[in-house]
Amino acid sequence: MGNVQMLLRQHVGAPCAAIVSAGDEVKKGTLIATPTGLGANIFSSVYGKVAEVTEDRIIIEPADEQPDEFVPLDVPEGAGKLDMVKAAGIVGMGGAGFPTGIKLSINLKETEMGELDPEINPELPKDFKLDHGYILINAAECEPGLEHNIRQIEEQCDKVIRGVKYCMEITNADKAIFAIKKKNQKAVKTLQKALENEADISMHLLPDIYPMGEERAVVRECLGVNLTTTQLPSAARAVVVNLETAAKIAEAIDEKKPCITKNLTVRGKINGGNAAHVFMDVPVGVSVGELIERAGGIDGAYGEIVMGGAFTGRSAELDEPITKTTGGILVTIEFPDLHGANVGILVCACGGSEARMREIAEKMNGKVVSVCRCKQAIENKPGAPLKCLRPGNCPGQVKNNMQFKKDKCEYIIIGNCSDCSNTVMASGPKMGLKVFHQTDHVMRTVGHALYRTLKVSKQVSQDIDF
Amino acid sequence: MSITAETAKAHAHDPAVLCCRAEGGITIEPANLEDPAIFDDLVDSGLLNLDGCLTIEEVLGAKLAKTCDSLCPLTADVVEGAKAPSAPAEEAPAEAAAPEAPAAPAAPTAAVPTAGGVLKIHIGEGKDIDLQIPVGALGAGGTEVVEVPAAAAAAAAPAEEVKEEKVVRSLTRKHFKITEVKRGPETKIEGTTLTIREGIEAEVIADQELVKDFHLEIITPDLYHTYSETVMDVQPIATKEGDDDIGTGVTRVLDGVVMMLTGVDEGGVQIGEFGSSEGYLDENIMWGRPGCPDKGEIFIKGNIVVQEKTNMERRGPMAAHTAFDIITQEIREVMKKLDDSLVAETQELKQVRRPGKKKVVIVKEIMGQGAMHDNFILPVEPVGVLGARANVDLGNVPVCVSPLEVLDGCIHALTCIGPASKEMSRHYWREPLVLEALHDEEVDLCGVVFVGSPQINAEKFYVSKRVGHTVEMMDADGAFVTTEGFGNNHIDFASHIEQIGMRGIPVVGMSYCAVQGALVVGNKYMQYMVDNNKSESGIENEVLGCNTLCPEDAVRALAMLKTAMAGEDVKAAERKWNPNVKSTNVELIEAAYDRKIALVDNEQSLPMSQKRKEKYD
Repeated sequence: MGNVQMLLRQHVGAPCAAIVSAGDEVKKGTLIATPTGLGANIFSSVYGKVAEVTEDRIIIEPADEQPDEFVPLDVPEGAGKLDMVKAAGIVGMGGAGFPTGIKLSINLKETEMGELDPEINPELPKDFKLDHGYILINAAECEPGLEHNIRQIEEQCDKVIRGVKYCMEITNADKAIFAIKKKNQKAVKTLQKALENEADISMHLLPDIYPMGEERAVVRECLGVNLTTTQLPSAARAVVVNLETAAKIAEAIDEKKPCITKNLTVRGKINGGNAAHVFMDVPVGVSVGELIERAGGIDGAYGEIVMGGAFTGRSAELDEPITKTTGGILVTIEFPDLHGANVGILVCACGGSEARMREIAEKMNGKVVSVCRCKQAIENKPGAPLKCLRPGNCPGQVKNNMQFKKDKCEYIIIGNCSDCSNTVMASGPKMGLKVFHQTDHVMRTVGHALYRTLKVSKQVSQDIDF
Repeated sequence: MSITAETAKAHAHDPAVLCCRAEGGITIEPANLEDPAIFDDLVDSGLLNLDGCLTIEEVLGAKLAKTCDSLCPLTADVVEGAKAPSAPAEEAPAEAAAPEAPAAPAAPTAAVPTAGGVLKIHIGEGKDIDLQIPVGALGAGGTEVVEVPAAAAAAAAPAEEVKEEKVVRSLTRKHFKITEVKRGPETKIEGTTLTIREGIEAEVIADQELVKDFHLEIITPDLYHTYSETVMDVQPIATKEGDDDIGTGVTRVLDGVVMMLTGVDEGGVQIGEFGSSEGYLDENIMWGRPGCPDKGEIFIKGNIVVQEKTNMERRGPMAAHTAFDIITQEIREVMKKLDDSLVAETQELKQVRRPGKKKVVIVKEIMGQGAMHDNFILPVEPVGVLGARANVDLGNVPVCVSPLEVLDGCIHALTCIGPASKEMSRHYWREPLVLEALHDEEVDLCGVVFVGSPQINAEKFYVSKRVGHTVEMMDADGAFVTTEGFGNNHIDFASHIEQIGMRGIPVVGMSYCAVQGALVVGNKYMQYMVDNNKSESGIENEVLGCNTLCPEDAVRALAMLKTAMAGEDVKAAERKWNPNVKSTNVELIEAAYDRKIALVDNEQSLPMSQKRKEKYD
């Protein structure tokens, strides 16, 4: 095992401050860094010795022996469940990394419905109210190619449900809904069985389109309420929790276990084939390269390594460590070469940022001559990540295509969701624009259909008819 | 792009096309529909076929029968429960006993102008009648056709309190005829002969450090085929009597002769090069434009050479204009002493207010980007230099003037690149829109606002916001915004219109647009646009004054503003510049007002210049 690197910033908020120094002995569960503002505790994920503390990370030299035992959370006798979640350093493990202890500090019973924007909620009456407080469990696993979330449902369903119940208890929510794609038949069946006697916990089946796991998409699908880009799910009297986060909550409360491991999917151009390698409970801080080796090693030349998902992930280096929010490590095939052709990029909230799209264009040897932004991609604050006004429901793209054409683009690279990609395809090729999707190299690698024309319905029946 | 409920309402009668894939069974909402504004492009490029397409009002709230993809026109076979279309003319009271109108676009059966400022068109029974009374033409994004819904058109003229016209002030122009201009030992006018002092050139050169050389030529009609450097200005020769201020009292003016300033820099570069009018005068001047010489006039043509590379700096042209005014001023001094017996004609211009009539204001955008783009505002003498403040120095902010000040030469124009659409000093002296609005008994012209066009966008919006407030506090019912040139200044032109329009005041915009000057920006208040283009191909052809505002444009603009103030809809412009729209408009106005509108010639009436041959036609 190579050195483990614990980044001081693995969450939304300010970096933590290290409370250990070089030479200190650490165990699994030793508290090594604490928040300086918004943040969450960071614990050592291994037994070993601190080799170095730098500005942004603590580097630990792991011991040869790595027993399963861990240092339990140091919380006072009779500590509340919320305190245990906070102490455990849990953050949103779906990728967002918002400190869970803070997210759950809400009393949904007394939370008022937010004001709904009539423009995006044309079908709801003006004074629409939800009668319950909800925990919505995000089990969409929306990034194509990842499988660790669904695997956890299949294998650790009880733990996840325990975590959900704790969330309900902490927030005074009287209902919980699992949002899961209907295509995951085995997991759906598993959940169905597990929820047989749970009157307050139900399931909402999602279609297999991107994005369904976006927080506000989950709220809309489960509760029928469209939130604005600045509204939190609490405006719909809900808290959205990733299922892996729920499991971590159960571990923290039941076992006093700190958040030191992560489930993830390693996949792509890997020796032995492109099937997913799901690794459960990988110590946080392990390097990307080590996990790829564990999966079989890179198979020859490759394009890039994507950390996270194909849509929202970024390119990563082999020596980078994984964090509490790393869900995927995807090794891709090589990029096509556009030989310096004129390229337009269509930036939207669902895919990469403009910088990421430009990076992909550059890796494809294209010359970016035009940049358009999806009409629904809203920048809440200058520089803030884009948010989609109506995730998964296209606002039309032909005008952007016309602009690309005007700017003399030969190719366009889009990062849109299923619905918007479909719209781009309705006019782009006819106008003579050759369309790439930013996820193409990943999709080709993992054998997933490319994001182009939408062939499935955005509606699925809620019947478990399989 | 999907549209909002508001846009859907505005485009109720436009075709309904899905912006994105939509699944069978959904209720069609505005968010499902593509913006009709882009359909023409899509139809042009073969991406869209609107045959049999239902309108937006028909499909909203209806059910989509089957899943359809993006850009699918919603036809009857894919929509369940479409509403019946509302005929725009349905509620037209059929008051006149006119013959039954055909269901297709109908010609007005009787059209009379009324005192109320409403173009009254009586239509017999009928429905779905779109009367098109187009009053303008322009390139992309603009609006050119006035559509008068029968309902509105047939409405009675509003009952107005009849109030007395009020003459606020008057201006007398005494015309002195000049038939000969020659050089002599002293500047003088004898009879109809103007003599200019020999050697005055040296004083012109000495006056300004940047003026390096100067030559004076007398261009009589037989010398029109003379080569000239770019024409920087054409000016009336006029002076005030006594202590009279510009815009009031008595002005003396010479007829049959104009001052013409031309120039280059020492390196031989035209002032305003890359859009300048150098060449043979008779091939490069559009005779008879408000800002140009009339055929038959004598030009006192001064050619100035300014210091190298100051041709595109403000100080170069400013020095040239200032120095050249030495000659004009010497003539003015002589004019002041002329005996009244030499007055060939006296003309009285009245500034009339018409309380109770629709109050309108004219906002004229003038160039103020610096470099060579500037204007001197309100000199002591008509089109003089002394006493004037440079527009740029004033910060381009709006300056309110009376219509008579405009007609009395309150603008000394330092025109620049793009001679076909720039307003020379003489243009203001004969400004057609001011004259037309002043004389139109259906409107109350309250004044003219000059606003500069600054270089920087932030400054453009700074001044346009001032324009908005200025017009707001006038309680105007309608406004004209005119501009000269095109491109950069269209940004503030659009912003002026927006600032006025957002205050609920209808605005008619006037600019050269056509092909080359197609608007680069737009907003929803730019619904009433009149194109000043006259050129055959819709271009800036570098022929002096060719595309400037002429009486025929003023007539169209007034008719359009009256229509807008009457609350009638205006049909959106055609996508591409189509000169036929203008001619149709003119014909309809002629029919409605029983008035013949003489159209001016364009560059095709001039001998073809080598430059035009090579660059344009």
